[in-house]
Formats: sequence, structure tokens, C-alpha cells
Amino acid sequence: MDLRRPRFRHLRTKLSVLYASLFAVTLVLLAVVAQAMIWTHARDSVRQELITSGSVYDRIWLLRSQSLIASADLLSRDFGFRAAVASGDRPTIASALANISHRAEVTAAFVVEQDGQVTGPSGALAATVARFPFAVPNGRRDAVVVVAGQVYRLILSPVMAPTQVGWVVFAVRLDGTEMHALERLSAIPLIATIMRSDGAKRWHAADRSVESDAAVDDLVEASRSSRTLATLNLSTGRAFAIAKPLAGLTDRPQAAILIRYPLNAALTPYLPLQAGIALAGLIGLILVVLGSRRLAQGIAGPIANLDAAARALEEGSHAHIVVKGRDEIGRLAASFNRMSVGILERESRITHLALHDVLTGLPNRTYFRESLDQAILQVGRTGGAIAVLCLDLDRFKGVNDTLGHPVGDALLKAIGAMLSESAPDGLVSRLGGDEYAIILSGQFDADRPRALAQSILDMMRQAVVADGHQIATAVSIGIAIGPADGKDADELLKNADLALYLAKEDGRGVFRFFEPALDAAARWRRQVELDLREAIQAGQFVLNYQPVFDLKADRIGGFEALVRWHHPERGVVPPVEFIPIAEDTGLIIAIGEWVMQEACRQAMHWPEHVRVAVNVSPLQFRNTGFPSIVLQALAHSGLAPSRLEIEITESVFLDGEGPVIALLHKLRAMGIRVALDDFGTGYSSLSYLRSFPFDKIKIDRSFITSIASDPSAAAIVRAIVDLATALDMETTAEGVEDTGQLNMLRGEGCGNIQGYLFSRPVESCRIAGLLENGTSQAA
Amino acid sequence: MYASVLRLSLMIVALALPVAGQAATVAIDVRGFDGKPLAGAVVTIETPKAPGVTVRGPYMIEQRDISFQPHVLIVPVGATVGFPNRDRVRHHVYSFSKTKKFDLKLYGREDARTVLFDRPGVVPLGCNIHDSMSGFVFVTATPFAALTDQAGHVSMTGVPVGAGTVRVWHPSIRAPGSTASQPIDVAATGFATTFVLHR
Repeated sequence: MDLRRPRFRHLRTKLSVLYASLFAVTLVLLAVVAQAMIWTHARDSVRQELITSGSVYDRIWLLRSQSLIASADLLSRDFGFRAAVASGDRPTIASALANISHRAEVTAAFVVEQDGQVTGPSGALAATVARFPFAVPNGRRDAVVVVAGQVYRLILSPVMAPTQVGWVVFAVRLDGTEMHALERLSAIPLIATIMRSDGAKRWHAADRSVESDAAVDDLVEASRSSRTLATLNLSTGRAFAIAKPLAGLTDRPQAAILIRYPLNAALTPYLPLQAGIALAGLIGLILVVLGSRRLAQGIAGPIANLDAAARALEEGSHAHIVVKGRDEIGRLAASFNRMSVGILERESRITHLALHDVLTGLPNRTYFRESLDQAILQVGRTGGAIAVLCLDLDRFKGVNDTLGHPVGDALLKAIGAMLSESAPDGLVSRLGGDEYAIILSGQFDADRPRALAQSILDMMRQAVVADGHQIATAVSIGIAIGPADGKDADELLKNADLALYLAKEDGRGVFRFFEPALDAAARWRRQVELDLREAIQAGQFVLNYQPVFDLKADRIGGFEALVRWHHPERGVVPPVEFIPIAEDTGLIIAIGEWVMQEACRQAMHWPEHVRVAVNVSPLQFRNTGFPSIVLQALAHSGLAPSRLEIEITESVFLDGEGPVIALLHKLRAMGIRVALDDFGTGYSSLSYLRSFPFDKIKIDRSFITSIASDPSAAAIVRAIVDLATALDMETTAEGVEDTGQLNMLRGEGCGNIQGYLFSRPVESCRIAGLLENGTSQAA
Repeated sequence: MYASVLRLSLMIVALALPVAGQAATVAIDVRGFDGKPLAGAVVTIETPKAPGVTVRGPYMIEQRDISFQPHVLIVPVGATVGFPNRDRVRHHVYSFSKTKKFDLKLYGREDARTVLFDRPGVVPLGCNIHDSMSGFVFVTATPFAALTDQAGHVSMTGVPVGAGTVRVWHPSIRAPGSTASQPIDVAATGFATTFVLHR
């Protein structure tokens, strides 16, 4: 059998059920014991009653006999009656018998004379009565006989006149009436039934109230010797019974009385007691259930509260329990409350930390993204617009470099606070570094993004006080408005970034709205990037060479290698279009390597005095593998290092001078020449000239273009040339386009020129021709 | 059944006694069914040669100590029996017998009552006041009638020799008339026998 233990969801129910079950079992046991005791007691008392009733009944039977005998004797000794019998006066006898029958309440009265002559009612009974005085055993004066299926008690009284002249015989039919009279004499509700023998051993109830049964037969048989109590299973139910065989004319009785006591009748007096026990048990059970519930409630209630509170805590909501009492549960509840408060505090702190920037306390990028997502969802449902403002401090790195990080951090905090103040209607967050972003969402004025950006820019015009320093700073702002500029957070943010990029491009310290063109440009850049990768693989690059004319030797002293991209669809793509992209994407490293290899290889075909100049971007220069790339190019081509000239711009120094200087020395040690390109346009060019002895300075074309018309330009050029001469460096003037410029440069003592005046950049196949007539052209 | 209750078993003892004339002595012992001598039984011998009875008198049955005394009185036919009351209480002597019905209503000591018994037979006596009182008047037509003594013995002389009938009456004998009879043959030398009553 599969007995599953019940599972309780509530401790209260569990305790209630446990207690109530235990008490119920106890009560049921008590009730069962009580019932058993009642039954036993009932049975014993019925047994006792029956036995007593049996004795009483014997006594009653005897008394009835004596009473009948006395009645018969009264008649038989009546003088007149004796005279009638002695004289054979039958009419008188019959009359007297009828009279006595009525008076003594007997069924019939007879006189049997000495010769067996019977006087009395005729019928089957008379024949038995006639034999009775002669058949009855000596000394007995009564007997029970069965005549024609009826049971009769016969009483004998001799008629003495004075010698015996006959007998008076009374016959009393033992029927239901007689039995009921008997039943009434008992203290308990007995049922007496007269039984008669069928001659065999079977006994039958005269009134058919009891079915013939072997148990009844056995009981009667056993009762002949001693009184026996039996339990009978009768059709009317179980009953205790005793039998009294009634003495007949022979040893074998012809009739018996069965006295029974139905069990249900026996148990009837106990019904109130049983009902009382049941009622008391029921009331007890109800009280126990109620009590158990109350007790369980008392114990489990606070625990259930604790459970609910713990679950609430688990789900993240605040859970406070009303503390009752000072017992363990009370203390536990108090501890729980403290713990709950602690957990929530820590949780909110952790959440805050996770979603906020530690430095400024502003929402961080994660928070920003979530807020943006939610705002987009909200706007999608209720309408309105979203504005994303991306802000980037201009030249913040300089602050860190010059004033130190603590001041930089203070500046970031101060700006965060200022932004929060400026945009109380928006969500200001710090995305990282010197990047901030503001979200405006919902029903804001259409001009609000612009006004906000402008107010921020205006605010930034004042120097910001950070950590005691007055710092002049500026910010560039890119603005994208959703949903027009982007359906989702990624797109909006990307477009705001593009706008910011544009703002930076447009000279910083301004704000720009996103325009679709920006996106197109960005896409174009991405396509170029992809095409560049393809180009590197497919060898779509070629080198053009622009001659550098040596004014002193009056001949071509070298070529500057200029990379050209022959795009299969777009044709030749100018370097200004793809080099920044190549630099942004890092592809410049690979392109630069190819340029280096190709330039060295080509230069091997030129006369020995002709050098090749290769432009190296700051990105290439920062690459630690750069020296080995140069070495490989020289080794593969077999070019003498002194014929290779590497051109760098001042921007290579922006990341710090030390490593750059070391690298330059390394190249110099290899015998390679180093030229400083675009001199004069940078930041502090002069200091660089002191830090490294460049082989050549290339004077930026902006000076050369106006050299003939602008005296100050001429003066600058002169100063540069003088400075280079003093530092023992060569000079090359770029962008020389006419002879006027040439003459001026020649006059100032410039060593080399390059520009359209002499030659545009040419393909490598035309270099040989240039070398042949180059001198004459320059002249 | 009652007919077989009593049977006579005759044990004849030849007595070599000389007898004068035609008469002899008859001695009879009566024993009850229990084998013990039966006292108070009336033994009569009837023989054709018997002479008639003679009334001599007086015959009395007294009522004394609430009983009839004697219990059994043998009287010849025609005898008048007196029933004097010797008790201080009164008696009501009666008999419903066929031989003689009479009814002596309550009488006391001073009242004399007599009854004439003119037919032979047994007359049971009772007192209507006292059930326990019982007595018998045995009215006989033969002179040979006697009561057995305590040893159940009776002896009669002058019984004519020849065939006759012995009758024994006693109330305990369960036979019609409470009488058992047996034919006998009285020898000149006399006759002696023992009656054993059977059930």
C-alpha cells in the first residue's frame, strides 16, 4: 500500500492536524474502550439478569403450580363437589368444573374418576387428561403435555371422599398470554416463548416467533441437566437465552420455555451513556481542534509572518514584522527586521554602485542604457520624443597631463554637477572618461535640446574651478533626436556620437545635431575600411613618387613615395580620403609596411645618390615592430640605409617624447635619415628640434605659398632655414609652384624643393625619364 | 393394569391337625407389596357352608383425638353403629359409599348419632370438618371376617371345610373395591396361607 505522508504548506496546519489527530486517536481509543466495557458490562448484566430471571421464573412457575394446585384442591375438597363425584352426579360435576375454570382462570377443568371416566370439556385434550392421573409419576401433581400442537399444563388434585374417588385435573394452555404474564414479572424486558418438541429432537416455537435452530435444540437439551446460558443468532438479532424444559409425563419433556433477551434491548439502557460518550468525545474533539488551532496559530503565526516577510525580502520589497512578545520568536523577528533593513541598505548601495559612477555619483553607462531603453519604450507607447546629448570634454587629457589626475577628477565632478544643474529635466550620466550624456524624454519643448546644449556651452565659457584651479575647458556636444534619428538605443547613441564627432571636426566647443549625411559618411567610412582590407589583399595600392630637387647639387636628390589606391570601381582614391580611415582602423600599419617594402624595392633601381622618402604616421611609429619592418624592407631590397629617409610629423611626439626619441635614435643608428615633416604647423616645434637632431626639416607649404607676397612668411622661412643651418639640418620646401617662390627659397638658402613647379608625383615608370632631364627642367 | 396389581400367591402348608366335625382353623398372613406384614387389613372367607351373621352389638366408632377409633370396624349386615363424639370439637361424619350413604351433620359430644348398615360392603368414613380423619366400616355378610394384627396375621376358627374364597381388603390395595381375592380349599386339618399383595 502506498502511504504518502501528507505535505503541509503551513506549519499551523501541520501542528493543528498533528495535535488534533493525536487527541482524536486518544478519544477514539477511549470511546472504543468505553464501548467495549459497556458491551461487556451489558452482556454480563444481561447474563446475570437472565440467570436471576431463570431462578425467578422457576419460582414463578412453582408458585403458579401451587396456586393452581391450591385452586384444584379447593374444588376437590369441597364437600358438595366430593358428594357429586362420589355419587357420580355428572351434571353437577360439569357445572362445578365450568365454574372453577372461570374462577381459577384455567383453560379447562376435568374430573377423572377412578375408572378413567372423564367429565369436562370434550375434545382431544380430554383423552390425554383421562390418562393423566394414571400416567403421572408418583408424587407429581403437574405436567406439561402437548395436545394437538397446543401446550398445556395439567394440574392434578385427588378427590377424597374420604377415600380417593377421582381427580380434579386443570388444564392451562401455555400460550402467548401466559408468557406475557410471565414476561411482566421480570425486571428486564425478557421475551418468553413456549417451545414444543416435535417428537424428534427438534424444537419449535408455539407462536412461531423463533425459527427452529440447532442452537435452540442444543440449549434445551443442555438445560435438562443444568441451567445454561447461550447466545443465539436469531432472525430478529442476537440474543442471550436460557431454556426451561417443562416436565411432562415421561423423562423426555414435550415442552420448554425459551427466555431470551435481545442484545439490542440489552444495550438500550446504555444508549444514553453511549450517546453521552460520543457527544463528550465530539465536544472534546472540537475543543481540541479549536485549541490546537489556537496553539498552532500562536506558534506558527509569527513564523508564517517571518516566512512571508522572508519571501517579500527575497523578492526585493521591504519586509517589516510587527514584533510581539520577548520570546525566541519575538527576538528572531527583531533580528529579522534588523537584517532586512541591512540587506535592503546594502542592496540599494550595491545597486547604486552598479548603476552609478563612483566619482561623480551620476548614473553610469549601464544605468544610462537602461534608462534610454525604458524611455524609448515609454515614448513608443505614449508618444513624445527622446533627445540624447553626447558630450565630450575638449582636450581633457591635457588637464590630467599638466595638473595631475586628482585635479582632472575634481574637474569631472564639477562638470557633472554643472550638467545636473543645467538639465534638471533630463537624466545626466557619465559614460566614462570625459564623456557625458543627457537624456531628455517625453513631452519636452522642441527647442529644448538646442537650448540645453547652448546653455551648457555658455556655462563652459567661464573657467571651471576644480581643486582650487581655474581651468578653461570646453565641451563638444552631439545631439540626436528620437525617434526620427533612431528607433532604438543603439542607433540613437551612434547617431549622437556621429553628431559629436562632427562637432569635434567642426572645431570643438560647439554642438551639432545629427544629420542623415553624417550617417552616410559613417557608412562610407565603413565601406572604405572594408575596401581597404580588400585592397591590401589584392595589391590595389601603387606608389607615386614626387621628386625632391636638390638646389645645391642642382639635380634630383630623391623622391617622396606617395601611396595611391587604384580602387576597381571608384578609380584612384586620393590619400586624404583613405589615410585617416586607415589610421583610425589601424590598417595603416599594414599599408605602411607595404609602402616601406615597395619604396625600398623601387629605390634600388635608381642612381645611388637618389634617396627615397617614406611618410610614417604616428600610429606606425608607435608600433613596436616598426624598426624590424624597416630593417626587413632594407634587407629584402638591399637598399643602403642612408638612401632611406623617414618622414614624421610633430604629432608623433604627442604621446610623450621619451620613447619616440629613443626610437629615432635607433633608426639613426641603423644609418637611416629622419625628416620632420610639416614643420611650423605643430605645437612646439622648436623644442623638438632640440630633443632630436633631425637630418632634414620640411617647411610646410602654408609658408611657401605666400612666401613671395607675405614678408612675414618669408621671414619665417628665413628663420627656419637659418635655424636648420645652425642645427646642421637640411631643409626642404614643400608646395613650390612657381619660379618666384623658387627664387625666394634659393635666396633664403633653402636646400631642397618639391612641388608642382618641378614635378607632380609620377608613376615609377616615369622616374627614369625624370632623372634624365630633371636638371634641365629645374634650371 | 389395576387388575394385575394384586395377585395372590398361595403357599399352602398342610397341617396335620385333627379337626372336630366339619370345621377347621384358617390362619392367614398378609404381606403388603413391600413384603412387610400388612396390619389393619380385613380378611374374609366366603364359603357356601357359612352360617349367617348375627348382630350382637353394640358397635361404636368414636371420634377421639380428631380421628376415627377404631380405624376399621367390622360389623355384620344389619348392625347399627354409633358414632359418639368424644372430642371437644364438633364433627361432620359422612360417607359417599355405595354401600351406605349417610351424612351426620355437625354434632357434638352430647349428641348421639347412629347409622344402620344394612348392606355388605366397605363404607369409608370422613369428616367434612377434618380432612385427615379417615375410617372404615366393613359391613360383612360372612361371620368369617377379621382384621390382621400388627404382624399381618389373622386366624379364624370354625371355618367349614371345603372350597371357599378369601378376600383381603385394605385401602392401599389398588384394585376395584381395594380388595384382593383368592379361592381356597379348607382342609379338615385347617388352612394356613400367606397373602402377598403385588402391585
